[in-house]
Amino acid sequence: MTLLHHLCLRRVSLYSWLAVVSCLLLTSCMPTSNPSTRLQLKLHQKWQLQPGDRVAGYAVLGGLGDITIGLNRAAVYAPFNGRTQKDSRNCIVFSSPDVPAYLFRLCGLEDPRVGTLNAGDRIGRATTLEFAALRKQPNGTWAIVEPSRQILERTLKQP
Amino acid sequence: MAQQYSRGTGVKYMLAGGSVVAALGLLVDPAKLLPGQYPVKDVCQEIVQPQAKLSRDALTRLLAIPERSHQNQVRQVVAQPYCNLKNLQLRVGATSRREAYPLEFDPSTWLVVLYEGEEYAGYSFSFRH
Repeated sequence: MTLLHHLCLRRVSLYSWLAVVSCLLLTSCMPTSNPSTRLQLKLHQKWQLQPGDRVAGYAVLGGLGDITIGLNRAAVYAPFNGRTQKDSRNCIVFSSPDVPAYLFRLCGLEDPRVGTLNAGDRIGRATTLEFAALRKQPNGTWAIVEPSRQILERTLKQP
Repeated sequence: MAQQYSRGTGVKYMLAGGSVVAALGLLVDPAKLLPGQYPVKDVCQEIVQPQAKLSRDALTRLLAIPERSHQNQVRQVVAQPYCNLKNLQLRVGATSRREAYPLEFDPSTWLVVLYEGEEYAGYSFSFRH
């Protein structure tokens, strides 16, 4: 009886040890995200409502200057080598060291990838994507400009 | 009885072996095994001045130029780039021209300058060259 008990205990301790090790291995692979590093973009245009705001209790999905595209859960790709960051309204801001003076804001992505990306890497999926191109102004604000068909195609098609 | 014992150890070895294989599998990054996942660098389209290097002094003066200035203001600081990158269409009605300048004190870092028409739009540092 005691021998069986002892063997049982040994097996339990082995399994719990294995479980702890696998948990440690799995958590080490998880991406770390720090919500305090969210971008606070100052827009050149002083429009009242932006994607992520609320009006009469409902969520604003797109504002003036955003191009709305029905993607039906298709993927969105990094148009250049660069990085993605979340902004204060939970949209994704894509920037590239190869493309100075421009930022691209993508709202409506489900479970987006945040961090360094290569051109063509998947950023996330969207039912409805709100796309805005932002151009840097001398006073440090970002003006919403009309995005070209080429930049939209680069973001929606894998190269 | 002896058969019982060997079956028990067989299962143990299978579990141990399986755990080792699974643990090794965690070390493999499947994204790296897939073909066509190599980074595509934004490469030079045309080398303009192979000797071009940006000095600390020139960099300081260039960074002080406000965005949307006339491109001549930048030209007064830096005459010729190392190379031109591919032109881009980022917004409707403007072609974006890009020039690259390796830093004299860190040639693996490039300063990339973007122009639209006669206008200087801005700069960024590219660290992968």
